[in-house]
Amino acid sequence: MTDNSYAKLMDPASERAKRGAFFFLMLFAAIIFAMWDLARFLWGGTAVPATLSMGVGVALTVLMLVSLVPVMAARKKLDQGDDAGIVSSLATLMVVSLVMAGGIVYNWTTLTIGSGYGGIYDITSLWFLVHFVAAILALLASIMKITRTPERAKSERWVSYNVLTFWGGVVVLWVAFFIVFYIA
Amino acid sequence: MATNEIQGNALNNMGVDKTPFAASMLFPLFRATLWGLTGYFAAAWITALLFHTVIVNPLPATVGYVVGLICWLMGSGVWEGWIRRAFGGKEAPTYTGIERYFRFGPDSKSTAVRYVVLNIITFFFAGMAAMAIRVELLTPDSTSWWLSEIQYNQTFGIHGLMMLLGVAASVIVGGVGYYLVPLMLGTRNVVFPKLLGLSWWLLPPAIFAVFMSPTIGGFQTGWWGYPPLAQNSGSGIVWYALGAATLLFASLLGAVNIAGTMVYMRAKGMSLGRVPIFVWGLFAAATIFVVESPATYTGALMDLSDMIAGTHFYTGPTGHPLAYMDQFWFLFHPEVYVFAIPAWAIWLEILPAAAKRPLFARGWAIAGLVGVSMLGAMLGVHHYFTAVSDARMPIFMTITETVSIPTGFIYLSAIGTIWGGRLRINAAVLLVLMAMMNFLIGGLTGIFNADVPADLQLHNTYWVVAHFHYTILGAVIFTWIAGLYWWFPKVTGRKINEFWGKFHAWWFFVFFNCTFFPMFIAGIDGMNRRIAIYLPYLHDINLFMSISAFLLGAGFLIPLVNLLYSWRYGPKAEANPWGSNGLEWQIKSPTPYVSYPAGTEPEVVGPNDNYAPGAKEPFVWAPTTSE
Repeated sequence: MTDNSYAKLMDPASERAKRGAFFFLMLFAAIIFAMWDLARFLWGGTAVPATLSMGVGVALTVLMLVSLVPVMAARKKLDQGDDAGIVSSLATLMVVSLVMAGGIVYNWTTLTIGSGYGGIYDITSLWFLVHFVAAILALLASIMKITRTPERAKSERWVSYNVLTFWGGVVVLWVAFFIVFYIA
Repeated sequence: MATNEIQGNALNNMGVDKTPFAASMLFPLFRATLWGLTGYFAAAWITALLFHTVIVNPLPATVGYVVGLICWLMGSGVWEGWIRRAFGGKEAPTYTGIERYFRFGPDSKSTAVRYVVLNIITFFFAGMAAMAIRVELLTPDSTSWWLSEIQYNQTFGIHGLMMLLGVAASVIVGGVGYYLVPLMLGTRNVVFPKLLGLSWWLLPPAIFAVFMSPTIGGFQTGWWGYPPLAQNSGSGIVWYALGAATLLFASLLGAVNIAGTMVYMRAKGMSLGRVPIFVWGLFAAATIFVVESPATYTGALMDLSDMIAGTHFYTGPTGHPLAYMDQFWFLFHPEVYVFAIPAWAIWLEILPAAAKRPLFARGWAIAGLVGVSMLGAMLGVHHYFTAVSDARMPIFMTITETVSIPTGFIYLSAIGTIWGGRLRINAAVLLVLMAMMNFLIGGLTGIFNADVPADLQLHNTYWVVAHFHYTILGAVIFTWIAGLYWWFPKVTGRKINEFWGKFHAWWFFVFFNCTFFPMFIAGIDGMNRRIAIYLPYLHDINLFMSISAFLLGAGFLIPLVNLLYSWRYGPKAEANPWGSNGLEWQIKSPTPYVSYPAGTEPEVVGPNDNYAPGAKEPFVWAPTTSE
């Protein structure tokens, strides 16, 4: 026998709790990247291989920074209670995720994985790729929920907030990655 | 009206599912298994074909594991219970009856019960591996009729990893903690119920993979996975790395829930000073996990990358094998506190209720729990003093020995609580007292390991084996069983058989000490750990340890039978059989599906461990307008 009347009762956390507790996950993700950013110097030394395209790195970083514009727009709409208004921003971020994934895969072709720098660069950027894939799925889920079940999306607005928080965190981590792997 | 009656009246109107068990309820389990195995073999075969290799090589085994794990999760109910709904699909049904124990779902109580069952199964098989080790050590030479040296290495590796990550990491946090945290905090569920549900469903494939690792070549590294041996010890190391990473990830999902629930979902009036001490212990353990585990994840992934992707993090000309040790022990020494801190917190939860005395020095006890978690974060290097041999040694020796200070707070709190009280010694309390004794020995002998000159002699000997078994088996597992006995009425509504509970407590205590105390002596006498062959003068003491170990192992059947029998036929327990002030005991037993029903919520007006004569009841029940 199944009964849906308990679903809401058994998920009692407030939006504040859902959004606040999400930072524990973000903290975990950030420390993982911090480990690899620090490890870059142990395995890769201080030099940057000439084969690594600085142009692509700069372009991807600028793209990530620009992606904060739709993030801020979407947050503003959410604050105003306009769930449907964030769909275009989320779709934009999905496109950005796909471009970032493409850029990461392209950069793998410019480095030798068996070298010290190549290994640490590849595994760190692979981890970013995992995050972009997760972002694509989360963004798609939010868009579909908003368009197919607007009432449910409204009552679970914390999901959209957390997706945007996740994206903001990835932008910060990417900038740190760019500084450590391309400039430092 | 008594608080339990208030709760009862509200709950009697909630009509949860009482459908009896039917075999069809196992469908998600069968489906998950079928999908998981199909996913594994399909992905591994396709990868092997694409890369012109065989299915047991590291790369196909890795791809197969990842795909198989995802398929297993989808089959368990994650698809219809979470994913479909998250994409705006059909609403998932809520299973409120016995069915919820056999499928993915958001109920933290059924998740905790699944943890207990899986922990017992894992403990049994990992324990059988221990028995196999002791059979091998019955004779000084390598016996041809039992394990080869390679099989021996595989056996102690599987035993170690499973006992640590499959048992110790989750017995108290998972089986006891996930059940009690919402109840103790006065909320109906954790902050991310589905993530918590997911945490359990990650475990079976990971545990299965580690146990089955010999089928693809096993691994020779023990539970450490040290390179470069890892890269040269059989493809089974792939399942070791993936299994360990999966188990750690499952623990992370639990840690996030514990921390988030404690920070954001406490009952009205429950200030941090009034949070139950057990929840404080879990919180301290959870923070260790969130902050420390990334180092070890990265180590596991880099180790795996060396095996399947051609990187040279730990091997070859650019490899730094010592870096792996740094990454590994950065979590895995503090991980011991992830096991131990919740166990200590259980002592401090049970003893005041059993002695009917206020928890002594509550603030200092909390400082002890948090202090251990903070200091414990910085001392992993003491595991490889013999490898570093540099200026780090005195620093880490000092920090390690400093941990005894906050640990002392916890012991003083426990002793101060029972001092002068009239302790009612049931089986659970007896096990707690024994655990305190065992951990004292484990802790005191740990000081020698932390001391550089002593450690250089004791490193890699049976002294170390004895030390960590005293802390983990002697303290954590004893306390786990104490916790199961203490909160058994809460979960089942029945009591365990006290005679057999006390009988096996003494059985454990005697044969545990007979098994492991001689290991201190053997270690000082020069018996190395992790070898199938030893010098003949150590035969007698090994024979004694092996026979004691067999009796200890057999003794674990007593609590198992006791729990199973009592679950079905045990005497019915009243709602609060121990007269505890804990919030979890103020509701019906067994805990209803919705522990705090709509319309009534607890408000905290004092600490739950104040048993001083005349102390007011720490909770009042307030009507609420929430749904």
